[in-house]
Order: sequence, then C-alpha cells, then structure tokens
Amino acid sequence: MSTTASVPRTTNFAAIPILLLISAGALGLGMLAGRPQQGAPTLGMVLQVFVGWSFAACGIFIWARRRANRLGPLMATVGMLWLLGRAMALIPLPVTFTAGSWLSDLWAAAFAAFLLSFPTGRLIFRADLAIVGIFLFVSVPLEFVWMLFWVPGNGLNALAIVPDVAAAHVVDTLQRILISLAAVLLVASLGRRWLRSSGPVRRQMAPVLVGAIAILLQSASWIYFSSGTTFDPLDDLIFVAQIAIPISILGVILRTRMARARVADLVVELGETPTPARLREALANALGDPSLQVAYWSRVLDRFVDAAGQIVELPVDGAGQAVTVLERNGAPEAAIIHDAVLLEEPGLVASVAGALWLAVENERLAAEVEEQLTEVRASRARIVAAGDAERRRLERDLHDGAQQRLVALTLALRLAQTRLGDDADPAVKLSLEQASQEAKAALSELRQLARGIHPQILTEAGLHAAIESLAVRTPGDVSIDIDPMARFDPTVEAIAYFVVSEALANIAKYAEACAVQVRATWQEGVLTVEVTDDGRGGADPQTGTGLRGLLDRVSAADGTLEVVSPPGGGTRIVARIPAARATRAADPTPAGLAT
Amino acid sequence: MDDRAMITVLIIDDNVGFRVQARALLAAAGFSVIGEARDGSSGLEAVRTLRPDVVLLDIGLPDVEGFEVARQLAVTGPPPLVVLTSSREASEYGPRLTNSRVLGFIPKDELSGAAIRALVLRP
Repeated sequence: MSTTASVPRTTNFAAIPILLLISAGALGLGMLAGRPQQGAPTLGMVLQVFVGWSFAACGIFIWARRRANRLGPLMATVGMLWLLGRAMALIPLPVTFTAGSWLSDLWAAAFAAFLLSFPTGRLIFRADLAIVGIFLFVSVPLEFVWMLFWVPGNGLNALAIVPDVAAAHVVDTLQRILISLAAVLLVASLGRRWLRSSGPVRRQMAPVLVGAIAILLQSASWIYFSSGTTFDPLDDLIFVAQIAIPISILGVILRTRMARARVADLVVELGETPTPARLREALANALGDPSLQVAYWSRVLDRFVDAAGQIVELPVDGAGQAVTVLERNGAPEAAIIHDAVLLEEPGLVASVAGALWLAVENERLAAEVEEQLTEVRASRARIVAAGDAERRRLERDLHDGAQQRLVALTLALRLAQTRLGDDADPAVKLSLEQASQEAKAALSELRQLARGIHPQILTEAGLHAAIESLAVRTPGDVSIDIDPMARFDPTVEAIAYFVVSEALANIAKYAEACAVQVRATWQEGVLTVEVTDDGRGGADPQTGTGLRGLLDRVSAADGTLEVVSPPGGGTRIVARIPAARATRAADPTPAGLAT
Repeated sequence: MDDRAMITVLIIDDNVGFRVQARALLAAAGFSVIGEARDGSSGLEAVRTLRPDVVLLDIGLPDVEGFEVARQLAVTGPPPLVVLTSSREASEYGPRLTNSRVLGFIPKDELSGAAIRALVLRP
C-alpha cells in the first residue's frame, strides 16, 4: 500500500470553520426567535433548525479534522443552504424573501450529492451526476420560473413579474414529479451500491440509505398532498431522520480517529505474543473494523492463508475492502484485509501494520528461538545419555578385560604358592607373596575405578542398593530413605546416583558431619533426591567443580539442583529430575551383565 | 559332609582362563573337579548327569544369569551345594545376592580350596 502525503493541518487555522459555525448558529437562532409576531415556534420549526445545525456542525467538524475528505464541506454546504434559504424567507423584505424562497430547495441538490458521493465526497458515476443534475435543475432554473408566476400571501415575491396561479401550479407539479423521479433514482443507485457491498461498507452506508429514503418520502408526501398542505407528523419524522444522518456519518468518518488512540494499546498487547485469534481481535479493535482479517503468506502454497492454514482470497478493488500487505525483503509476509474506509487514514493503517509486523516478526523469532532451544535441549540430553552409555560400556570393558586377567593372575599366583610347598626357598615364597599382594591391590584399585565410572550395582539393583553400597564406604552415620523397588531410566538413575555420590564424597572430605540423611522420593513424574548433613556447611556450587558438574548433568535432564549450605548450618542438596518410573527391582533386566 | 572325603565340583564359567586356574587350584586343594560348563544351559545339563557335590557358579554367564541357574537348581532334583562367584565384589550385587538360595559367594580372586571348604563345612 502506498502512503499518501499527509495533509498539513495547522494552516488556515480553523478560521473558515469557526465563521461558518457562528453563521449557522446565528441563522438557526434567527429562525427560532426572529418572528415573535407568529407566536412560539412549532415542533417542526425547531426540528428544521436542528437539521441545519446537525449538517452544518458535523460537516464543519469533519472538514476541520479531515481536510482531504470532501464530505465535510459537502455536509456543511447542505446545512448552510438549508438554514440560509429558510432563514431568509422568514425576513419580511422582498429581497431576502425572494432570494430565500428561490434557494429554499437548493439544499436538496447538495444533499443528493452528499449521499451519492459517500464516503469519499467525490461523484464518480455519470448516473449519479445526472441525479444531482435533476435536483439542481429543479431547485434553481425551474424554481426561478415558478417564482415568476408565484404569488405568495405576503406579496413579497420580487420576481413575480407575470403573476399566474395556474401557471405556478403547473410548474410546481412538474417540479414535484421531477424531484420524486430523482429521489427514486437516488434510492435505486444507493440501493444497488449497498447490495453490491460487503458487510462493513453496508453498515457504514446505513445512514446514507436512510437519507435517500427520507428524500423519497418527502417527495412522495409533496406529490400526495396538494400544494399548500402538509402532513406534520411525517415531516417531523423526516426531520428527525435528517438530524440523525450527519451524526451517524460523523461517527463513521471519525471512527478511525478513535482507533488511533487504540494503536498504543495494540502495541502493548502485541508485545505479549498473542494467539492468532487474539491478534486478529486486537487489530480489529484498534482499527474499529470487526470484519478485519489477518492473512499470512505461505511459502509452500505461494498464497495468503489464515491462521488455520486455509487459503484467503484477497478482495478485489471496489469490493469495499482494502488490503495492506506487510513485506520483508520484498517478499510478502502477512496482510491485513480491512475496510476500504480506513484508507482515508493511511497513517493509522500504517501504524497498525507496523504493530502487526512487529508481532509477526516477534512470533517468527520466538518460534526460531524455541526451535533452537528444543534442539539444544534434545542434543544436550542425547549427549548426557550417550555419555552414560559410554561409561557403562567402559565399565564392562574393564570388567571383561583387565579385571578378568588380574583375577586369573591372582589365582595363578595362589596356585604357585600352594604347589611350592612348605620347604621351598623362603625368598621365592616371599616374592610370590608380594606378587600376590600387588595383584590383589591392582584388582582392588581397578574395581574402585570401574565403580567410579559406573557402579554395576546401580544397573543391577537400582538406586537403593547402589546408595546403600556407597553409604557403607562413607564414614559416619548415613540413613537411607529410598523405595528399594523403584527403578528409573538408566540415565536418570545415574544422575541421581552421582548426585548422592558427590554429596557423600564432599561430606567425607569437608563437612565433619555426624549424621547424614539420603532421601529419594518420586511424585508426579519428578524424582527428588535429597542429601542432608549436619556438618559445617559453606558449600558453593559455583566454586566447586564437583557440584558444578552435577548441576550441568541435572540440567541436561531438565532437572534442577538446589544447594543450601549456610556456614555452620549443615548442607542440603536437592536434585529434582523429571522421570517416569520404570521396571521394578524384583524383575530386573539381565541385559548387559557379564563376568 | 566329611572333610576327608573327596568333594566333587562342577565349574560353570564362560571364561576359560578362570576355569583352568580354578580347576588346578581346587585339584591341588584336594577337590575332585568332575566337569566344566561354559554357560547356564549346559551347566544345568552337566549337574543332571554328573551330580556334583558342589557347583562353582559364575553370576555373569552368556545365556542366563548365575542367579537364575541357582534358582532352577534349587527347585529341580536333589540340589547340589551352589557357590556363586564373580570377578565383582559381593557389594556390586546387593539384595539379589543376599536373597538368592545358595550356599555362599566367593569373589573369584578370593577363590581357594579353603574358602570353599569353609562354606561347605559351615554348620
């Protein structure tokens, strides 16, 4: 969408509108107060004044606020002509009475032009020009001809050069017929346009249609009631409708102005990454256009689609809706399908479009980040799981290889010692004994190493048994509160085990604790492992590499690690790891076990 | 069981190095090693045919775990005395070992005639 140049609003500061407003006020007041000899003004008279004021005031207001729109001046013209003709005809001077009477119906031509040119204020179609032409023809030249014959009761018609009641009646009848014809054409033209329009435009056209029908009714009543007679209730009703029309139009035109204030709210709302439905609603609210649609460009389909992925057909020109397309690097990204009336306010649509662009961009970035984060999480979990599998494999390799050989060596040495007999060389016996001790020590160290890599007991019997065997090697009183039957995913068990292992190792090294408690509970898919001691506290996960490593491992499983360790107040380490309960210890899987 | 009588032993283990060493060690200690088996199923078959007094049974067998072999031996026929063994320590097996119906457990590197005799002759 191209943005039209903004119209400067500060020039010619409100001089003409204010003058017009004062004139309209004065004319109306004059009509009401200017003829005390005829008694209090009738309801019809009051309503007529308000019709003029309504058109003049609303027109001037739109004019002041929307310089680019011709509807404002047109409406003001309707109001001024209406008031001027009526007010002048009331002044008992031949010049004013004659001029006022001559111009008394000219407002109808302006009114027809106003109705037919809604909402831009421009007459586009030849047929519409013709209709306005008929109104003009009746209200200016034909009225002039009629004035030549017309003899009013007060005798103030300065144009009555050839007074002839019969001729005046003929002209008058012709005028009524032509006005009625023009009114029918007016209603037909607007009705046709209304039928061809979409929902939002129809709603906006409602006051215009009412206006057209009011003119039709008025002309019909002129035809029905012969010259000089009127039917007041119908006239009054028509006047009320005429008062309402400019106000409704003002509402339609200025709706976009109220919308501007909502753009700020919109930007705030879009900052919270709303759902597509909320986004549409927010944009619709901001633009005051309930029919607004948001479409997204699908690179796959090469078309615009809605949030549900359904193809969206963009409206064609003249359908009452317009499209504002948001582009990124020259490629369409999204589109707002909105009421064509909003094009009157390009700045507004542009700012709303900017807000939408931000939202779309935010959403895209958020999706990208989310995607990357998901991938990073998954790869981190895979790395930890692969690491655990590798540790288990390494432990098995040590067990199957070096450990077996050391066992065989130990047995061979023992056999040699047995066979040597009691009367052997003491030096040889000593050497064999030393070799045997070395082999046993090597085996013991190897076992410790293997256990540190991955404790077989964990695979074998689960957390309870593995931690029990840890506790045996930890000095001090370690109480264990773990369900012996609970089994979990091997990676989860390994993480929980190493949390306890690291905690117990730290306690043995630094804590000087008397009592240690290890608890593991499983609730609602989370395994909570808790190690508490009554030692001297002061542990800091940010400085110790052991705790830091634990934190990384726990985080990799999407878990949390909490270390509470006030100096002198003991240490409490709590790991919470998302975990599903697996098989029970009573029926373990023998897979992967070898001697 | 009389400690002077020759105690017959069947060794069930997949590691040939261990079988050779264990057979020699036990023979030297006065046991009669009447057979060897390399896995659980052939071990069960050997127990049926050879009827050993003692079965030295490895926990980590290639086809079925030693625990399961021990369980089957306990429920079929006159059960032999089963001594479980492993190159791992007892603490690596936890409750599964303590709950199994066997005579006892000897880590492989601790294996000796005296160790078996201590279990067998335990009151």
